[in-house]
Amino acid sequence: MSRGNVILAALLWLIIAFLILYPLSILLQESFNISGTDSWGISNYLEFFKDTYYLRIFGNTLLLSTFVLLTTTVFGVPLAYILARYRHRGKTIFTALILLPIVLPAFAGVFAFIIFFGKYGTMNLLLMDVLKWTKEPINFIYGMHGLVFVQSLHMLPFIVLGLSAGFTNIDPSFEEAAEVEGANGFWRFITITLPLCTPSYLAGAVLVFLWPFTDWLTPMILGQTDLLPSVAYINIAYHFTDMHRKYMGIVAVVVSAVFCISLFLLARWWVERKKYTGLSKGTTAEGRVIEPGPLLKTGAYVYLIFIAIIVLLIPIVLGLSAFSRRWVFEPFPTYWTLENFRLILLESPILIKNSFLFSGLALVFGVAFGLPAAYLIARTRVPGKDALDFVITLMLAFPGIAVGVGYMLAFWDTIPLARYWIIMPLALFARRLPYFLRMAHASYLQLDVSLEEAAEVAGAGRLRTFMTISLPLLLKGVLVGVMMFFIMAFQEISTAIFLYRGGWETLPIGIYLNWHRGMEFGIAAAMAFLMIVITFILLLIASRIGGNMLKAAWSTDE
Amino acid sequence: MLKEIDYMAFIEIKNLLKRYKKVVAVNHIDLEVKEGEMLTLLGPSGCGKTTTLRCIAGLETPEDGDIVIDGKPMLSEGFIHSSQRGIGMVFQNYAVWPHMRVFNNVAYGLKIKKVSKKNIQERVLKVLELVGLEGLGERYPSQLSGGQQQRVALARALVGNPKVLLLDEPLSNLDAKLREKMRFEIKSLVKRMGITSVYVTHDQAEAMVISDRIAVMDSGDIVQIGTAHEIYKNPANKFVADFIGTMNFIPGEIVQAPGDTPSVSDVVCVRTEFSEKVLCTTDGVTEATPGKEVYVSIRPEDVEVFAEPPQDRENLFKGVIAHKAYLGNFLYFFVDVNGTRIQAQVPHHLPQDEGQEVHLFLDPQKCMILF
Repeated sequence: MSRGNVILAALLWLIIAFLILYPLSILLQESFNISGTDSWGISNYLEFFKDTYYLRIFGNTLLLSTFVLLTTTVFGVPLAYILARYRHRGKTIFTALILLPIVLPAFAGVFAFIIFFGKYGTMNLLLMDVLKWTKEPINFIYGMHGLVFVQSLHMLPFIVLGLSAGFTNIDPSFEEAAEVEGANGFWRFITITLPLCTPSYLAGAVLVFLWPFTDWLTPMILGQTDLLPSVAYINIAYHFTDMHRKYMGIVAVVVSAVFCISLFLLARWWVERKKYTGLSKGTTAEGRVIEPGPLLKTGAYVYLIFIAIIVLLIPIVLGLSAFSRRWVFEPFPTYWTLENFRLILLESPILIKNSFLFSGLALVFGVAFGLPAAYLIARTRVPGKDALDFVITLMLAFPGIAVGVGYMLAFWDTIPLARYWIIMPLALFARRLPYFLRMAHASYLQLDVSLEEAAEVAGAGRLRTFMTISLPLLLKGVLVGVMMFFIMAFQEISTAIFLYRGGWETLPIGIYLNWHRGMEFGIAAAMAFLMIVITFILLLIASRIGGNMLKAAWSTDE
Repeated sequence: MLKEIDYMAFIEIKNLLKRYKKVVAVNHIDLEVKEGEMLTLLGPSGCGKTTTLRCIAGLETPEDGDIVIDGKPMLSEGFIHSSQRGIGMVFQNYAVWPHMRVFNNVAYGLKIKKVSKKNIQERVLKVLELVGLEGLGERYPSQLSGGQQQRVALARALVGNPKVLLLDEPLSNLDAKLREKMRFEIKSLVKRMGITSVYVTHDQAEAMVISDRIAVMDSGDIVQIGTAHEIYKNPANKFVADFIGTMNFIPGEIVQAPGDTPSVSDVVCVRTEFSEKVLCTTDGVTEATPGKEVYVSIRPEDVEVFAEPPQDRENLFKGVIAHKAYLGNFLYFFVDVNGTRIQAQVPHHLPQDEGQEVHLFLDPQKCMILF
């Protein structure tokens, strides 16, 4: 353990302390404040856990989480199995489409589905006016069921990615052994395949389960505000004059953050304990790809296409809306125009500029921090490096609203960083950090140490070795990490919404504001469409560079 | 030769063909395994040995041919599922399910066959004892050593009283010491139970220890079948000779066909780089006609090394020692004979050192002609 590494570790810890630990401790401290007095105590928490209202919304959120997890699992298991095991055409396209929701901003989906499935949306208009099947509009989307639908679609990729990697990676002979023993089809799947995949399933499932504790925007758009994150948002953002409600909002944020982290840690611990690697040392044949019978194959295609269509609805509907105006009470738009795009691009290009500037800067910070961090974690035994990894990974489970509120409180008076626009990229950096780090880390683990050692034996110093040997070999993983980080920072809203001031709006915030004001739906749709296009291009580049790396780093926790 | 009549073929492979896309993995092979016999499929990786085994197991669907086990065709009268073939199988990486305890791993197949609980208990405990795992039934595989996991796999394959035991490189993941011990253990266990078994390995020493007969495979074909002794002493071709043991191959051309000199029948004369005349036994090889390019082949332990040339011997060549190694019970030489390097293994001491001259005697009776 060299002095250089220790200094590096200390530096990284300093950054973590300043940008993550400090704001979160302020958040925690603030939640103990008692309004109207200078004193503090646990009375806010007592009120939270005694008030049937708060308990009910906590229960509601748990219920929603359960439904979302159930839905994603029921739809995700066959989907993952088809993608991993069946030989079929267009595998890449289907995989890409099914993974698309993960990178799309969550609210893009909501807007699209409101336009399509809303009370007087395309579906209802078709049913009522064209097909004449019903007289009254059917409520497809507003309510708990719509919320479960939208959130499930958004989180489905986490389940599919984890499980399909599991299905592909488990050693074929585990299943063959069961086959020889006489276990057929379904029974083999239940007793052998699925249990062996539980670790990879769980890693994704916990993120799915936590999503309703994080997502305040979708419920609000769908008129379901009795949920923990929405209540927290409303209490904090709408009632800044009522100190008590603000503190109760902060308590709600802390409670959901603590809940998320506890559950996340529990899942991680369990996955760690159940990890089935290192047992079969033999050569692993490529995963079992089978040619299904014609009936199964048709069924599989129908199912894939069904899911793909639902996903595709998002860009299609938003596209229709973006290129039209006055699309009301008609199943499809009739008046086509580029006016929405003209407004965005010519009259308020600042949003696009901000989005790129903030995400880009966050990316620079992310790489500057992530590469050394990945090096320390993967290659050295510096004390505290595991804790570093731990804290950064926790950010995956941390609700964005908690980061936003924490920053708002911490960087206003004592350290007035939030008065300058640099707070935006800093916050994005802190929130999305794990997305770059786990890519860099994953590729570091695949890089044979002896390649680096050979360079050091040849006389290259540590930095030179890194620049001439490690970095070129890590490049693929690093580039994919860069893309993923940028995409995730680009669509960030939960944190940014608390920190932006006039002139700092990003595209997601612009979309939200345009929807919120209720009049410029077309502009919001055009912005969302623009974001989808940009995201999709970035994603395409990323998967070109290293689709396998992407899968590997996303599918398993660690 | 008489032996073959004593036995009935228990597994009969007829004209088996297995292709992966365009690559032929198993090329129309025929093979018979006798009842109670332990037969090894031996060959380098990619030779088709594992594919053949997997065809017997029912894990692959061959394009052509049939497999008959105990008189019952597995393919020609409809594909018989692997679990209906009466086989037990040990996989290369054990395939011991990590999420089940040892007991449940072994009991898995019996439960599917709906054997009564009491019966399962009895049989599993018995087989665990048989493989030397008594008392470990409640462990998880992760709490076992590699050798113990191997035994779990063996127990699982044996618990259903299979007619045929299939073993796919079962020892390749163990360390060298344990591997040598397990060879004998598996052999004595299988022999004691009298199960007909097919064993796949790429390790020739393992094959020679464990099997009654060895089938050597190369590029999807069976090149030679026989006992370890037969294959070592009379390899069918250069490939087999090279794969099993060490062999000197001296390229040359036949200059005198058998029968030309009636006095020494089945001996031919081969012109090599270092000598116009190397005498070899043909052992009835009919293709040994003049002009044919062949390899004069002799095992290192059959090469005799002399400090002084003995009298009245043919096939005596002078060479220079390039390397000499002391290996305890014998000496090992690399000798350059006019540019051709010949290996020799000598059981006695010889004072000559590297760079010094020696005389090699290649006994014509032990020089084979291989193609």
